[in-house]
Amino acid sequence: MYTPLRIDPTRALADINTFQRKLAAGMGHLRNMREPDYANTPRELVYSEDKLKVWHFTGTAPTSKTPLLIVYALVNTVWMTDLQADRSMVRNLLEQGEDVYLIDWGYPDGADRWLTLDDYINGYLDRCVDAVRRRHDLDAINLLGICQGGAFSLCYAALHRDKVKNLITMVTPVDFQTPDNMLSHWCRNLDVDLFVDTMGNIPAGLMNYVYLTLKPVRLNQQKYIGMVDILDNPVELENFLRMERWIFDSPDQAGEAFRQFIKDFYQGNKLIKGTLEIGGQRVDLGEVTQPVLNIFAEQDHLVPPDASRALGEHVGSSDYTQLAFKGGHIGIYVSGRAQREVPPAIHQWLRARQ
Amino acid sequence: MAPPADFQMPDFLKPGIDADFLRDFQTLAQQSWDAWLRQQSAATGAGSPSFAAAPNAAAGNEVLDRTLAGLKSYFEWMQGMTAGAAGVPGADWQQQVQQLFGGAQQPFAQAFQHIDGAGMEGFAGKWHSWLQGMQPADTLASGPTPAFGQDREQQMQRQALAAAMLESMQASARYQSLIQRANTQGMQKLQDKLAEHAEPGRQIESLKALYDLWVDAAEEAYAEIALTDEFREAYGAMANSQMRVRSLQQQQTEQLCQQWGLPTRREMDTLGERLQQVRREARASRAGTAVDHSKEIADLRRELAELRRQLAGAEVKLVPARRSAAKKAPAKAAAKTSRLAVKKAATAKPGATRKTAAKKPAPAAPRKSAGKPAARKSSTTRTPAPRKRK
Repeated sequence: MYTPLRIDPTRALADINTFQRKLAAGMGHLRNMREPDYANTPRELVYSEDKLKVWHFTGTAPTSKTPLLIVYALVNTVWMTDLQADRSMVRNLLEQGEDVYLIDWGYPDGADRWLTLDDYINGYLDRCVDAVRRRHDLDAINLLGICQGGAFSLCYAALHRDKVKNLITMVTPVDFQTPDNMLSHWCRNLDVDLFVDTMGNIPAGLMNYVYLTLKPVRLNQQKYIGMVDILDNPVELENFLRMERWIFDSPDQAGEAFRQFIKDFYQGNKLIKGTLEIGGQRVDLGEVTQPVLNIFAEQDHLVPPDASRALGEHVGSSDYTQLAFKGGHIGIYVSGRAQREVPPAIHQWLRARQ
Repeated sequence: MAPPADFQMPDFLKPGIDADFLRDFQTLAQQSWDAWLRQQSAATGAGSPSFAAAPNAAAGNEVLDRTLAGLKSYFEWMQGMTAGAAGVPGADWQQQVQQLFGGAQQPFAQAFQHIDGAGMEGFAGKWHSWLQGMQPADTLASGPTPAFGQDREQQMQRQALAAAMLESMQASARYQSLIQRANTQGMQKLQDKLAEHAEPGRQIESLKALYDLWVDAAEEAYAEIALTDEFREAYGAMANSQMRVRSLQQQQTEQLCQQWGLPTRREMDTLGERLQQVRREARASRAGTAVDHSKEIADLRRELAELRRQLAGAEVKLVPARRSAAKKAPAKAAAKTSRLAVKKAATAKPGATRKTAAKKPAPAAPRKSAGKPAARKSSTTRTPAPRKRK
């Protein structure tokens, strides 16, 4: 009978030595590094309202006839879509020929505490869509909704059918109560009214804490131990720190919108039940009759694949396409595979529906 | 994997590694680590060199603090693991693993402790210690007693807060017990995974490989627990009880602010809510006005064009009667009649009107009659009076 552990003490000591040495040498690099920038693909401001901004990405002449408006989630910042030059979804879409716009929701503060989902979807989002429509003198544009922004886009497409030509959803939860949805499971017993009445806006730090506890050891410890191996590689280290910046530089959540999102989407699962109301209007996914491309990640721990797949059963469109990506919730934007697969797939799908 | 090329093992120790050497090495390594850490903390302004305090050092480099805290745990674990692997020859590996991953200092527990950053305000134990400091000790210890007298309301509030704090502590303890259970089950899973590596060629040969295997096991066990109904209830109870504590504490703070004449969060919220409602109404009003106007204008234009065509048709038919009627009828009566005439014309069959209009294009109507069909002067000259008695 053998023991599964065959760790040579000499080698173990060497590992400790190496670890310490790498850390000591690498910390010098770490100390001298400046805050890593995002990709900063050239862009122009085309619309703003309160803290919201709509950016138009420039630099490459688009071949697409219909502009594409990206609707990001309210959690985290939109710059995941333009993280760094060689890992930028928007840059890649531009190179494919798409005319890309992006809604940057900004950082809500106490003055935004009373913004509701109606304010976001029928207010802000609708006016952003109108601004892009006006610029192109078009009745309808293409929408690309990401995560929570995908849920918003579905609601919008159902309520404002004439303004959406094609709809793309990425890692978008539709069935919020699949058995493997840990976030949904945890917030099921939450007294959201008490939570929002007490907290007002929901602090970004608290949101981050919840996300970190989805995989506590991997996200709080193992990843930093892995970082030691790249401390002597300035490029890799910069990439790592850029991702850290994105993860922890996140906006607070407007209280009322958070209340409604948790109650109606997570606790009530009303989007697929057909009982969701935004601004007094019922949201019926059957009313989403535009062509729909639904992209999800197979290893997504935030939005399980089944939560996204459910869209196919409820959407009213007769032109529904589903694309499974081999990766996680973040990898779908920044991994090498994502750069090769996702923007080209989006472009080809849109091109066939110009 | 061989040790790194530049790793220098003292010559006198090469024939064999004994436990004394390991202890000495660990002591030296620990000392150099601590010294280095103090240097890093000073260089980055992270404040305390203590790992326990590092995650709370708000003024420092938070990422660095968090990183160092995790690395420290890993480093200590490696040291312990090395001693365990080499220092107890022939020991039961399962027992060794239990010792190295099951203690209070094991990395899993620390992974939780080290997320005690700003984000944990709602879920952290520090809340309790702070709030406990705010309360008279006997309030917590003695439990609720009937409140009376002038400060009855304040007594009631203090008692409610004390009860909420107790409830919150109990809820947190329940949550922590589930975390501990996840840790225990993670150990079992690790042993199961290790058992799969008991064959030659599949054995775990490095600390990092063992650590990674343990992470997989710990996360699997945690995920299983975290998806149970029991965890869901404990999680909800913990969050809700902490919110109740915070809410009651806010009430007390608000009262204090009122006494001092300071604006309160509640007042700000009320203003914010009203302001947002006014903004919605103003926007809806502007949007509504714009839409109604454009639609109304378009409708009116269509109606006007239709009326002009009808009026032109009516004029053609009524021309023979116009002169005699105009001579007899007073202007006022004629105006009234003109309205009736126009109304009648307006209700005429559209087809007929179109037909007439097509045969003979309507002349441009005088401007005065355009917006108001019963304009006096022109009407008197163009419409018949006989129907005034009706």
